[in-house]
Amino acid sequence: MAGAAGARLGVGERRWVNAVLGAVAWLATLLFFFPVFWMVLSSFKEEQDANTSPKLLFSPTLDRYHDITSTTSGLLSFREAFFNSFWVVAVSTVVVLLLAIPAAYALAIRPVPKWRDVLFFFISTKFLPVVAAILPLWILARNLGLLNTRLVLMILYTGMNLPLAVWMLWSFFREIPRELIEAAEIDGAGLRGQLASVILPIALPGLAATALLCVIFAWNEYFYAVQLNPASGSTIPIWVTTNISTRGNFLAKLSAASVLACVPVVLAGWLAQKRMIRGLSMGAIK
Amino acid sequence: MTPTLELGWRHRSRRILPVLVVAAIGLAAVACGDDDSAEPSGAGGSESGEGGEITVAIVGNPQMEDISALTPDLFTAETGIKVNYSVLEEGTLREVVTRDVGGGGQQFDVVMIGMYEAPQFGANGWLTDLTPYAEDDDSYQFDDLIPTVRDGLSVEGKMYASPFYAESSFLMYRQDVLEAAGITMPDNPTWDEVAQIARTVNTDDMAGICLRGKPGWGDLGASFTTVLNTFGGTWWTATDDGSVGEAQVDQPEFKQALQFYNDLIQDAGEDDAANASFNECLAQYQDGKVAMWYDATVAAGTLEADDSPVKGKNGYVTAPVKETDASGWLWSWALAIPQNSPDPDTAWQYISWATGPDYIKEAGTQVPGGWAAIPPGTRASTYEIPEYQEAASAFADATLEAMEAAPIDDPGTTPRPGVPGVQYVGIPEFQDVGNRCTEQFSSVIAGQTDIDAALSACQDIASQVGG
Amino acid sequence: MQLDTVRQQPGAALGAAPKHDGLHRPWRQRFPLLPALAFTVLLTQVPFVMNIWYSLTDWTIVPPTPRTYIGLDNYRDLPDDQFFRDAARVSVVMTVSAVLISLVLGTLLAVLLDRKFLGRGVARTLLITPFLIMPVVAGLIWKNQMFSGLYGVVNWVTARLGLDSIEFVSRYPLESIVVVLVWQWTPFMMLIMLAGLQSQPAEVLEAAKVDGASAFGTFRQLTLPHLRPYMELGTLLGTIYLIQVFDHVAVMTGGGPNSTNIPYFVYQRSIGGGWEFGKASAYSIVVVVVSIVVATIALRVVSRLLRGEQIA
Repeated sequence: MAGAAGARLGVGERRWVNAVLGAVAWLATLLFFFPVFWMVLSSFKEEQDANTSPKLLFSPTLDRYHDITSTTSGLLSFREAFFNSFWVVAVSTVVVLLLAIPAAYALAIRPVPKWRDVLFFFISTKFLPVVAAILPLWILARNLGLLNTRLVLMILYTGMNLPLAVWMLWSFFREIPRELIEAAEIDGAGLRGQLASVILPIALPGLAATALLCVIFAWNEYFYAVQLNPASGSTIPIWVTTNISTRGNFLAKLSAASVLACVPVVLAGWLAQKRMIRGLSMGAIK
Repeated sequence: MTPTLELGWRHRSRRILPVLVVAAIGLAAVACGDDDSAEPSGAGGSESGEGGEITVAIVGNPQMEDISALTPDLFTAETGIKVNYSVLEEGTLREVVTRDVGGGGQQFDVVMIGMYEAPQFGANGWLTDLTPYAEDDDSYQFDDLIPTVRDGLSVEGKMYASPFYAESSFLMYRQDVLEAAGITMPDNPTWDEVAQIARTVNTDDMAGICLRGKPGWGDLGASFTTVLNTFGGTWWTATDDGSVGEAQVDQPEFKQALQFYNDLIQDAGEDDAANASFNECLAQYQDGKVAMWYDATVAAGTLEADDSPVKGKNGYVTAPVKETDASGWLWSWALAIPQNSPDPDTAWQYISWATGPDYIKEAGTQVPGGWAAIPPGTRASTYEIPEYQEAASAFADATLEAMEAAPIDDPGTTPRPGVPGVQYVGIPEFQDVGNRCTEQFSSVIAGQTDIDAALSACQDIASQVGG
Repeated sequence: MQLDTVRQQPGAALGAAPKHDGLHRPWRQRFPLLPALAFTVLLTQVPFVMNIWYSLTDWTIVPPTPRTYIGLDNYRDLPDDQFFRDAARVSVVMTVSAVLISLVLGTLLAVLLDRKFLGRGVARTLLITPFLIMPVVAGLIWKNQMFSGLYGVVNWVTARLGLDSIEFVSRYPLESIVVVLVWQWTPFMMLIMLAGLQSQPAEVLEAAKVDGASAFGTFRQLTLPHLRPYMELGTLLGTIYLIQVFDHVAVMTGGGPNSTNIPYFVYQRSIGGGWEFGKASAYSIVVVVVSIVVATIALRVVSRLLRGEQIA
């Protein structure tokens, strides 16, 4: 019975309402998903079919996928881009969480003085237009020899996602009942113990959402990646855009590349949404 | 229920912590022992294989895709030089290359730049002069280059970039549609004649003509500027020493050209014109939605390809004129060596192969598109290859004629500032002015802005240059 | 009432943690915060300061000129720049509409997807997918395959209904971009709202049901107030990201009087062709200052988030 904002209706009526609402949910889902579906469809078309009037019936082909995954020495391959992206995103997300969880604790559960200002500072770092930040960053990266490396993106994405993670985790940590924290402290738990036994389990949905968003933002980040790593250390978004041409149609190929680029993040999304289950917080420490 | 839950939470937290610890160790390992495949730039011919390794930045057009696929077999196998390509989208390529070349970044051994940048970068001293290399290299056949193309990439006789691909513009039309309407396209037509034909064959199902309308100095800007030139208009006057004078957007010729262009699109132009550039017009032309198309000569290769729905139905004629003798544009994607490149000799070896006559001959039999898909417009010898003449019979002559006639030195009726250029003005500021002005003009085409307001805004923008 | 025991009071109550308690020495309190803070300061303030420096010079790369200090000249020219004002107007309209619409849609979807139904996990994953697509690709797909006057699916549908085809991106550039932004960012809002809904413990809702509350009443009096801080969080974060929208503008319209927003405008001044880094930096600094002012007002005055109010 958990999970249903139930009503005092009879059993039969409740089922009917649930069914209708479920159908509405699916209708909304399919509507939203349609352009993605169309993109997937395009990935199986010839360019002629993808650049003309909408066609639901056509002879599908895997050629576009062959085109984009064929590895030629000297060209950025899907494998290399995936490898780079995977490491950059994994490391930056882990570091973001490692930094943001304690920071959110220090701002929500045992707030430091001026916690409001600290929070504001974090969010203010995102006000500078990305296009303005790129020039100093490029100069710094060049001088430190970090151009075209995975490390520079790991650092940048960590900084890029930290404000988001701090804010989100802060708002989820605020939810945690005071009594549970105090109970853990009485049991002698320090920061780490409190985190492990009380905070993280209860805030798991929020943690999952935060991690997922960090992964998505880092995975799809294109501007910094292409400006700093065009020659090597290139990531998936760069690989996807190698398919764009100004002298020939490319939508089918681009769709195929985009489908491949999305698959890992869809998996991450699936995993994350499984963690977003309403729980029984009061039962945790009794 | 409570005890089970309690166990559940503690159990899960026990699993999370070790994961985090392992991840932290992994982080340290990865971050430190980083990147063997991602070394700080391959620039500099670092030894790997006997010949070395170079990094080349290119744009992702079909001919470039072809050569990047063929490089391992045709070049690396012969010379031992490994070539790493960075394929970038055109706008990004320009941003990255300009900053790299201008800022001494050394990320690339060879960069692909356009005819707009080559003379400017050369004059700035950012590029290695290729003329000595070219003259010493027999296999390169310096004299084979089409003169207008070579001049467009040179400053005072020094060639700063070697052309890989070149195009002009001409008018493509559906011969069958015009015949059915009883119309014969004249040789060397004027814009007035073309406009009349377009309006005549224009129907609900098939627009008369496809003209670019998408904002951008290289999109609408290119197409419109050639019209502007031949209408006797210009963007700026030139002072005696060739620098920028007064903005001429407020002159009657400019408005006349823009009005003509816009009216033709409104009356007989393609759908969604304000968004249309090469690709969109290509799609519509192949779909039979437009009867004529004024755009790059390279389009012919696609239109006459084996899988093209309009193969064999097209005629090609010179770019329409009004007050000048020729108006086709001139564009080339060319390979250049940045000034402080550590290993220009290896870089030249690559350039000599990629832009030499031998690659063109080899590519004809190896690229997926066949002979019609080889890089066009750079060399006279290309047009003497029998297989090419056959495969490209419909458009080879028209293309060569357009390339040779492109009025690179004298595009309009008045002198222009800066280095020579047909569909652009050869000053660094044109890119920005062109972008912002074409945004206004595109808005006119979309019916969102009044033409006088657009011209006035553009005059403001253009007036900020020079003086 | 059971509900009271679940309420907590962050900020106000927790902030007044007794200082004599051995566990609450100030440095120990601050310590967990330091790594994140130090990292952020280092990574973000250095570029910011460098930008301030550039804005005080006349640095242009093309044509290459030596960089000379010119003081506040770049700023002096700003107020007259009509194009900057247009870009600001477009930015405001684009951001506000995208944020508000996606917030409303995201909340509705979160409420719908919070309850159990057949295939909920799949539906949730599918609903996230618009957000997973690269902005460049999303812009191209929508422009060429959804909105296109000739070939778009939308026009194909409206043609079946007997309407004329509309050239969406040409005629309605700003609206078209907002549609794509809403499409991509509604899942973002939905994720936050969903996590917010999930953090409302089931016992509370059970208790309300036992006490005889109707579904709608529960929603209005318990869930909605509980969600309100999350809606504000979503608005704040959404605004931060949507202000920076760039790829959609570049790919869908290429700019124009009704679609060039601030990021695209600054891009055009700098690496997009203008290569005037001094001026571009000046614009950026102005943007930062204005954003700080607006955010301060919004957060301190309007929002509950930083007032330390109760949740639930």
